[in-house]
Amino acid sequence: MPLGKDELLKAYRMMKTIREFEERLHVEFATGEIPGFVHLYAGEEASATGFCMHLDERDKIASNHRGHGHSIGKGCDVHAMMAEIYGRGNGLCGGKGGSMHIADLSKGMMGANGIVGGGSPLACGAALAAKQLGTNGVALSFFGDGASNQGTSMESLNLASVWNLPIVFVVENNGYAEATSSKYSVACDDAADRASAFNMPGVVVDGHDFFAVHEAAGEAIKRAREGKGPTLIECKLNRYYGHFEGDAQTYRGKDEVKNLRATIDCLDRFRAKVTSAELLSEAELNAIDGEVAALIDDSVVKAQAAPMPAPAELLTDVYISY
Amino acid sequence: MSLDDHAPSIGILANPAAGRDIRRLVAQASVFPIAEKRNMITRLFSSLGEIGVATVYMMSDGNGIADRIRHALETPPPSGQTWPRIVFLDMPIEDRAIDTLVAVEKMVEHGVGGIIVLGGDGTHRLVASRAGDVPITALSTGTNNVFPAMREATIAGLAAGLVAMGQVPVAAGAIRNKVLRIDVNGAQTDLALVDLCTSTELWVGSRALWRAEGLDQLFLSFAEADAIGLSSIGGLLRPVAREAEGGLWLNLADPATAPIIIAAPLAPGLMIDIGIEEVHDLHPGEAITLRTERGVVALDGERELEFSQNDKLVVRLEWDGPLTLDISKVMTYAAENELLKRKNAN
Repeated sequence: MPLGKDELLKAYRMMKTIREFEERLHVEFATGEIPGFVHLYAGEEASATGFCMHLDERDKIASNHRGHGHSIGKGCDVHAMMAEIYGRGNGLCGGKGGSMHIADLSKGMMGANGIVGGGSPLACGAALAAKQLGTNGVALSFFGDGASNQGTSMESLNLASVWNLPIVFVVENNGYAEATSSKYSVACDDAADRASAFNMPGVVVDGHDFFAVHEAAGEAIKRAREGKGPTLIECKLNRYYGHFEGDAQTYRGKDEVKNLRATIDCLDRFRAKVTSAELLSEAELNAIDGEVAALIDDSVVKAQAAPMPAPAELLTDVYISY
Repeated sequence: MSLDDHAPSIGILANPAAGRDIRRLVAQASVFPIAEKRNMITRLFSSLGEIGVATVYMMSDGNGIADRIRHALETPPPSGQTWPRIVFLDMPIEDRAIDTLVAVEKMVEHGVGGIIVLGGDGTHRLVASRAGDVPITALSTGTNNVFPAMREATIAGLAAGLVAMGQVPVAAGAIRNKVLRIDVNGAQTDLALVDLCTSTELWVGSRALWRAEGLDQLFLSFAEADAIGLSSIGGLLRPVAREAEGGLWLNLADPATAPIIIAAPLAPGLMIDIGIEEVHDLHPGEAITLRTERGVVALDGERELEFSQNDKLVVRLEWDGPLTLDISKVMTYAAENELLKRKNAN
């Protein structure tokens, strides 16, 4: 079923919101006002968007340290996200999570995760719950090429297959595990190759092409919803910034990022395709650009003006009563 | 060219990406591991060395085949074997189809006496576009393969080596292939070796074409009844041999209203009812203007070109496709001429 105009507009808005959010954080982090670490998702927007466009309130996602794009894709409030990253009391987690632990359970976003490979076991749990409760929901785990080498990832792939869970494992292979090339650190040639060892389909898609991701994601999520079990999809993509903000990126080639931005930009590709097919106009896309820029600007202004958490909040949200 | 390049040489092109596409998810396509491609290549080294091929040129890649071969070369070949000198081509690596095109161009520049290809129809299509009259030995490692065959690499290496060394004349072992060429707005744009299909799907997307919905026109250079993929549609309706002069073209339709329906194996484990409105002979040189107003063109099963209602697309069947080795013919010639017969040293 081809995407309608409203869905195409929604996809562009989602990708553009992620890009603007990250580009602005890159600027604001340099001012020293943002506490903790920030890992930016710019360049990878087609992946989060291509998958999350298929999800609804039944579904849950587990993310990794690079979790802003997944959060926006799953519908987290941009103002509350920005406030959280600034550590403000009105942030998504009361200012206690920051960038790397941002979460909104009400939206099915189970959290960014500072533990490399920590998301997939959580996603297996969510998928098991969906299966046991009969919600027809699916769980997605977004993780990187580095996490694909972790034992937790292998255990999750195994468990998902043994229990035939409604889950999709999304390897976002941006070429580097922190500073180590995946060509060195991943023993098989594509992380997707590992799927066959766990008796599930493994597919490689061009993670810069929203339409390629969206198509493969739709098939995998449909398969999970129909009770046919897990899938592993590897999106080959690139990140436009370092592993973290402040990373000198000495492990990358001269002009590597500059060339990537000039030649492989998922937003540019999307724009070129939909306008040449005369499905959306430049004016419609430019209008979204303006609205998103205003949204992100407003989120920064409001986050900066918001109060820090009160000292009395120090021990709230830490323990839970059963 | 260096002096060394005048010694008999062969190119080996193994596509590391073949066998990873969405048909593993939407059908039951097999996974062809890189480790097995590496094993096939070392078996090729064994037989090429046996025949006396001096040099093998290989594509550099970023996905591990080249690394695994380098690793294999760190230890001596099996006892009693002499492998050719292995040269990895000095080329930029982009991990995209362009790598294959550049590698083939460089192999041709080096004057190789043949190119052994490990891949699917898509990889062979790319090689064919740059190989000129260098004979190709086509080995299947992809998904819906019609053009290359599943053959034991040892035998394929013997055949390719015998031809490259001039022990078997090209004319005795190679066949010329038909090719489907597509022009977009008057410019020759691309080619297909087996099938060219239009679909009203708008995007290249995940590339493979496996849904019946939207399939509109299908052009076939040949169509075998036991094929898999799009060419099976023609093959099960009106088979056309690889060596037959012409091909076929079909206008497809919704199976609910079509006068003919074929149950076609479009992908491994995936049978789909395809409606057929008309079927025609496709004569060499005949130019057919496509009726599909907008959508995508799939070449050998993979969506490659997006086009709009402003584009004019024309398809032709031509007899200027690549030369491929008929391994059985080469080995029969070798047997008849006692090329592998050894004298007792005593």
